[in-house]
Order: sequence, then C-alpha cells, then structure tokens
Amino acid sequence: MIQTTDKKVGAVLVVGGGVGGMQASLDLAEGGYKVYLVEKGPSIGGVMAQLDKTFPTNDCAMCTLAPRMVDCGGHMNIEKMTYSEIESIEGSAGNFKVRVRKKARYVDPEKCTGCGECVESCLVRNIVYIDQPGRAPVQIEEDVRVKVDDILNRYSGGREIIVPILHDINEEFRWLPPEVLCRIAEVTEIPIEHILRIASFYNAFSLKPKGKHVIRVCTGTACYVKGAQRILDTFSRELEVEVGDVTDNGQFSLETVNCVGCCGQSPVITVDDDIYGYVNQTMVTGVLGKYT
Amino acid sequence: MPHITNVMICTCTNCISNGALDIRDSLDAQIKRQGLQDDVLVVPTGASGLCVNGPILIVQPEGIFYQKLKGKDIPNLVEEHFLKGRPVKSLMYVPPGEESPIPELRSIPFFKDQRLIALRNRGLIDPDKIDEYIARDGYKALAKAVTSMTQEEVIKEISDSGLRGRGGAGFPTGRKWDSRRKDPRTPKYVVCNADEGDPGAFMDRSIVEADPHSVIEGMAIGAYAVGASSGYMYLRMEYPLAVKRIQLAIEQAREYGLLGKDIFGSGFDFDLQVFKGAGAFVCGETTALVASIEGKIPEPRQRPPRTTLWDKPVVINNVETWANVPVILNWGAKWFAEIGTEKSKGTKVFSLAGNINNAGLVEVPMGITLRDIVYNIGGGIPKGKEFKAVQTGGPSGGFLPASLLDLSVDYEQLDEAGSMMGSGGMVVMDENVCMVEMARYFVAFTNDESCGKCTSCREGSLALLEILSRMCNGEGKPGDIELLEELGEAIRDASQCGLGQSLPNPVLSSLEHFRDEYKAHIDEKRCPAGLCKALITFNISEEKCIGCRLCAKKCPQEAISGEAKELHTIDQDKCIKCGVCLDACKSEAVLVA
Amino acid sequence: MSKIKPEDLDKIGEKIKRTMLLREGSCRVKIIVHMGTCGIAAGARNVMKALMDEIEKAESKDILLTISSCAGLCSSEPMITIEEKDKPAVKYVELTAEKAKAIFAGHVLGGKIVNEYALAAGSERTL
Repeated sequence: MIQTTDKKVGAVLVVGGGVGGMQASLDLAEGGYKVYLVEKGPSIGGVMAQLDKTFPTNDCAMCTLAPRMVDCGGHMNIEKMTYSEIESIEGSAGNFKVRVRKKARYVDPEKCTGCGECVESCLVRNIVYIDQPGRAPVQIEEDVRVKVDDILNRYSGGREIIVPILHDINEEFRWLPPEVLCRIAEVTEIPIEHILRIASFYNAFSLKPKGKHVIRVCTGTACYVKGAQRILDTFSRELEVEVGDVTDNGQFSLETVNCVGCCGQSPVITVDDDIYGYVNQTMVTGVLGKYT
Repeated sequence: MPHITNVMICTCTNCISNGALDIRDSLDAQIKRQGLQDDVLVVPTGASGLCVNGPILIVQPEGIFYQKLKGKDIPNLVEEHFLKGRPVKSLMYVPPGEESPIPELRSIPFFKDQRLIALRNRGLIDPDKIDEYIARDGYKALAKAVTSMTQEEVIKEISDSGLRGRGGAGFPTGRKWDSRRKDPRTPKYVVCNADEGDPGAFMDRSIVEADPHSVIEGMAIGAYAVGASSGYMYLRMEYPLAVKRIQLAIEQAREYGLLGKDIFGSGFDFDLQVFKGAGAFVCGETTALVASIEGKIPEPRQRPPRTTLWDKPVVINNVETWANVPVILNWGAKWFAEIGTEKSKGTKVFSLAGNINNAGLVEVPMGITLRDIVYNIGGGIPKGKEFKAVQTGGPSGGFLPASLLDLSVDYEQLDEAGSMMGSGGMVVMDENVCMVEMARYFVAFTNDESCGKCTSCREGSLALLEILSRMCNGEGKPGDIELLEELGEAIRDASQCGLGQSLPNPVLSSLEHFRDEYKAHIDEKRCPAGLCKALITFNISEEKCIGCRLCAKKCPQEAISGEAKELHTIDQDKCIKCGVCLDACKSEAVLVA
Repeated sequence: MSKIKPEDLDKIGEKIKRTMLLREGSCRVKIIVHMGTCGIAAGARNVMKALMDEIEKAESKDILLTISSCAGLCSSEPMITIEEKDKPAVKYVELTAEKAKAIFAGHVLGGKIVNEYALAAGSERTL
C-alpha cells in the first residue's frame, strides 16, 4: 500500500516487545505514529534481556537493551500492552481491527509501585521455580566419579566453594573435563552455566586437555623487557605449536603467564613446577631435552 | 622502647685482664656524654672465643666486631659509630690470613639505603618455624592489642602513624578501619589482598614467603580493631611456594592458639583461611576480589561507598600494609611517623627489575629519589647502556623518564608525574626498549585481562592495541597519535573500575615523554630502540665478528653464511628477525638497525 | 598444644634465640640457604643438596643447616649466609653446588672466609 498524502494517519501495532519490536516502536513513535506494542510476556525486553553477551561482538546485552527499554517505557506515543496476546486480525491495510486479549494480572498496573512486597510475602511462589524439568544423569566413568565426589566431599556451602573445587579438579585432572563439570553441577546444585562462566573467566582453569609438560613463558613486564617474546617465539617455532596449544604428540603445552614473581632473574620460564631463570633463546633446546 | 643498638662487651677473665672493665666504663661515660643512653645498651657477655685479641666489642644488630680496644679509642668509636653511624674500620676484626676485612653488608650500596620494616625478618628467620618469628618479637603486638588496648586505641595508633594502603591507592589505613568498626552490621571480615597481579612486581610474594606470620599477626590485629572474627588471605595461585608457606603458618598459629577462639585468653576470636586466586588480574580490584571470594563472576561492580563481603563490612588491605601493622603497635605511631615524608609515612617495598644491575627487593623510606633507587641501590644499567625510563605501578602506571629521576618517591609526587605508586613494581628500561612496543605490551595485557563488562575498556583497549600494533609493524599513519590520545581520555572517563580507568596510562605517559619515538615509528618507519621486528634488520659487524660460527649454528633459518674465522653475513631474505644470533654471539658483533 | 599466654611468647623467644644466636654451644655454625622463589629458580636446591651431602660427609654435629627466604638481592641468587658464634654473618652470592662445597670446606670447616665468593659481612638495617 502506498500512502498518497503525507498526512500521517492512524496508528501502528507492533507485535512482540523484544529488542527488534522496541526499536521499531521507537522509530515509529519518533516518526509521529501512535504505537501499540503488544507483548505476550509480562514485561518487554524479550530474549536479549536474558543474555549476558551477544554474538559476534561479545557486547554486553543489557547495555544495548536497557536504553531502549527505558525509552519505550517512557515514550508518550507508545502504548504498551504487556501480558497480552492477539486473538484476531480483520480488515486491510490502513483499516485493521485487532482483538487483543489482556491476560489477568491480578495487579492494577496503575497503582503498583513495583515495591516487590507481594513477591516476598507470597507463600507459594517458590513452587513454580522448584518444578524444573530434571536433567538427565551425568554420564561419567565410575573411577572419575569417585575422584570427583571425593573432592566435592571436602566442601560445603554456596557458590563460594566453586573456585576451590575447580582448583582441586584442575590439580587432579590437569584440566576440567566437561563430564566432571556436569557432575559438580549435579552434586552442588550450582547451575552448570555459572560453573562454565567461572571456569572460562579464570586463566588458571583449562577447558581443554594439556600436554604432559606445561611450559609457561613469563611475560611479566620485567621478563618482557628482557626479551620474553623472543623466547616464546623460539619455543613456538621449536615445538611447532601455537601459544595456548598442545604439541601433536601431547608432550608439551605452551602457555604464557603474567609474572611468576621471579623478576630478579628475568627472563623466566617454568616447566611444570621447575623454574628457570636468565633464559635465552639458545637454552631452549636444552630445556626441552630434559623433558623428552 | 627497646634500644636500637646493643654493644656486647666481652668480660671474660682474659678480656678483663686486658682492660675490658675500663673500656666498659669509658663506653658508658661516652654514650652518656653523647646523649645516646636511650639508644645504645652496653651488655657484658661471656667469652667470645677470640679473646686473645681482647678486649672485644660486638655491636648488634649490625654485627660489627671490634678488637684490641684501648681506652683512648672509645670516644672516637662512640662518636663515629653510634652517633654518626660510621663503623671504625681500623678497629675492626680482620680474619686471619686476609689483608682487609670483607665489606660490611651495610656499606654495600644495595643494602645501605634500605630500611627494613615490612621485610624486617627477611633472610633472618626460617619462615616455616613460628618460634623463630616469635623470637623476633612476633605476636607481641597482637598480645598487647588484645590484652591491654581497646579497639579505638589500636585504630588511633594506626591513624597516628600515618600508615596508608600499600596496594597503590594510598588510602589511610586507620580511617578505613575506623569506618568498618563503626558499621553496625556483623559479622565483619578482614581480607588480605595478595593477588599481586602487576607483572613485574613481587613484593607480596616475598613478604608472604619470607615472613608469613607478620601478615597473619597484622590481620589478627586489624580484625580485633574492627571487630571481625574471620578473615581471608587472597593469594595468587602463581605463587605456589607462598601458598604453601602461609598455609603452614596458619596451622602453626592455630596450634599455638594465636588463631582460633579466645586468643590470649582475651575472649577475642579470629580465624583465617587461604583463598587461592585463579589467575585473573582484575581480581586485585576490591569489588572483583570480594565477588571472587563469594563465588560470583569476578567483575568489578559500581564501587559502593564501602566494599562489602556477603553484604557485611570488610577491611581489605594489601600484604605490605598488614605486615607493617605489628611494628607500629610495638614501636609506636610516633616512631613510625618519623620515617618518610610529610604525607607518606614509613617505608615502601619496591621490586626492582628489568635492565638493572641489582635486581631485587628493596625497602626504602618514602621520599627517597628515583635516582637513589636506580643508581645507588640498583647499581645502574647493565653493560653501560643508557637509562631510558622506569615504569612504576604496573599496567596502571606510567613511565618516568630520565628527566624525572630526581623525583621523590611518595604517593603524591608519583601521581603528579602521571604514574602511580601502585603496589611497588619498578621495571627499569634501557635504551634498547621501544616505548611504543612497551605501550603495546601493556595494552595487550589489559586487553587480555579486561573482564569485558564495560564497552569502553573492552573495545577501547582493543582499538588502542590495533593502532599500536600497526605502528610497531611500520604501518602507522599521521593522526594516529592524536587518535590514541583521544581514545585514551575517553576510556579513562567511561570505565567503571580502576583497571579500565588506568588502562590508557602507559600509552598517555609514554606519549608525553617519548613522543619522538612514536613519530619515528610513523613518519620515518624507524624503531629507534631497534626492537620492532618490521622496522629493523640484523647485520654483522665487520670489526667485531671473530668468525666463530656460533650464530650460524644456532640460526633456525640457516640464514647466516661464512666460513670459520671469516666474516659472517646474514641473508636478509631468509632472516626472520628472531634474534637468536644476538643471544648466541659472544663478541657483540650482531648489530640491530 | 595448649594455648599460649602473652608471657609465653618471651619464653619461646628466649629458647629459640639461644639456638638462633648460637649463644648456647649446641651449634658452632649456622648455614642459612635463602630459598625464596627466586633462589630456587636460580638453583638454591642444588646448593642445599650439596651442603647436606657435605655435612653428612663431615659427620659434624655442630652445624645447623636451615632455610630462610629471599635476601633481597634476587639477581645474585642463590645466596647463603653463614653465621658463626660471635662473628658477623657472612653472605655468599651467586653460588653453585661446587662453590658451596668450597665454602663449606673453607669457611665452615676451615674457619676462613672465602673472599672469592663472599659479598659482605654483617646484617641489614631492620626497624
């Protein structure tokens, strides 16, 4: 349909209050249209509001979303119809008639101040949350499970136990195998998503298997000033492995570490628990020889 | 107040027959005459074993050994040694078979200007033995605090001493404690921040490794002062030895009842546990640190007026701050406040590293100049190279060029100069360090360690990194410098936590002091320091090459040709600029241009 | 062990001072190997081992071998300090197992300071 006059008439109905719906509503409302924003959930925001980061730029989801939510919430030209669903649409372009069913909220939105007191005092609210679909039991080898459970038995408490547990697991297995993480989630009742985020946040934890020996080239400032980069390059060249990877034969992992606090003897490397000071490129072959 | 100096005079039969008693009387008289009776104590002791050379005098704690003393030597000795602090060489003990005594430790420049407070027990005690710590006045301050002082008195003592946080920001410790003490919420916590993430800094590691009990005692005193009953020691996992030692120390302290219930029968309970960090630089930031302990994602939060742990009050101090606390209670606030400058009291531990002759750990009074640290203590730059800059404050700090060498080292002066005290890392750089490359290094570091919460820090560091990398690759463009500055200021203003706000510091301060180097990279496509691979070539000096073939054997590309005892040459097409030849050459014949 | 009282600190201190300061003739010489991370990185373990072997070989009962932390001058590690009764302590730097053996023979057994490897005598200024 092509509008023949430039006179703006009527109103627009946007279905779905996610980030796309909100942006569309804002653009239209800014353009002078009256907007009805229909959203079936109790609040606008959609899926993006549940995300932490978004692909591919890894941008913070809330940082993108929050300004639009606030703008939509306060815009005089946008009428929000949340907790509502469309029942029928009749008519043609320019003259639609839409039937919207507003579901009962049992709360008068005009009067509600959002204090949250009703949630706190409700006796049955937790029932909804407890009734989650159960996860399938974790597939894990018996001896591994025994080891993991041994470690888990050392700790009790809330989320604060997760870092110490992962330390112990890392020490036992030298990396964090996925089935072990699932087992931790199962026993501690800490969501696997949280465990994975913690595990991937810290440099100390590895989500892929390591080589038999782990070479860490210190790239602290003092070592860097004294040529740590060249030493790292040499290891990478000699072992034919990229930094952060494992050699094909599984013998060595090559990593960097931000300072082992041994700056007096920079440049420094560590191989497993051994520390070598005053390293230069010509020593690389010799060091590797000790571990092959 | 203990005496500063003890003079042990041997009063065995042998020495008395040589006139030791007269010497003792003369000593007493001279000490009184100089008004040193409160500082110097004369202790008669038994046979020293070398009494044929008597009378013998040992001055402690320096451990200087005087022999064959005569009455007329004493006035000079007292004046020179005890008043002016210059031991009298001519009277010193000469081990048999030697022409001259080996130098006294304190006459060596590295040790001369140091004053050990936080490191008071380094190298002296076995850190695995609590008894040795106790023998050096250990846990006396805790006993004094819990049995004879009120919380207010302890805090007043710390406030009066002028102690400020040694982690970098320099917040007055007494004021921090007082605000937590007044907080009505309980339970309260104390935390020791030993998540020493700054690359090039190792003070905290050394203190925990050398003297774990001093930190435990400091924390217990702090806990008493604010009313906390449990504490955490947040230690980096990269320091396995320190983890081991502090764990052992905690067990020993528990066994002695120095941690646990009813310490010293005073009704005060305190226990401590180690929380091992997991390799995230951002965890040194207090809000991220508490989130890490709570088991949350360690992202910094909008800093509340006061950081809390599980919504309860918490005192977080750095290792060095805690280690200073027992000394202040033992020796008094007045004594401590006399050391240092007007606003920065006491001493600071620095880790001296990089291109410097005496790399190591130094503890110096505040207000000492950078020149003293780099040249007197550090012994200058190796191989006679030029000093270029010293980097303080880690990735949040800045570069201080030669023109600022006379800067006095305290919190304010360093801030003014565009750097910061930081936790005390000092990395010295010589002429062969490229400042653009160094700025790139720090930005790469913070880019890697950024938790990713704020766009300005996450994307800003990436943008800086791209520009700097381009410059190092010889692809810098006019206008890049201005862009760096603009970006840097935007990142500083828009980031939430200290990591983000201080992220541009290395870039901005290197731009301020070494703008020419940036220009050389952009305009002339030249790296003045000879470090940026894309902008340099390796050559072999005709005069210096001795034709040893060492470099040729080591070259991974077989790019070096030349027979033995003849001049070698590098095939520039094959050369990957790895620098192996530079390391291999014993006659400094490999030139970088 | 039962809990200690404030006055017990002095007792423990006194007891340990006797062994530390070698006033009571139980030990003639005390050898401190500086074992911080930096020392270990530079090879302090080898030095320690060499000294242990030497002490065993010499069958001497009056030598106390102990460890301590970094002595501050990290670039000159490994270091040891030798304390003899009533003499200033001597620090040796940049050691290897061989040098340690030479020092053991020369200084600990022979009583002569091995000037070649010695850095200095005395102790630092504390407090």
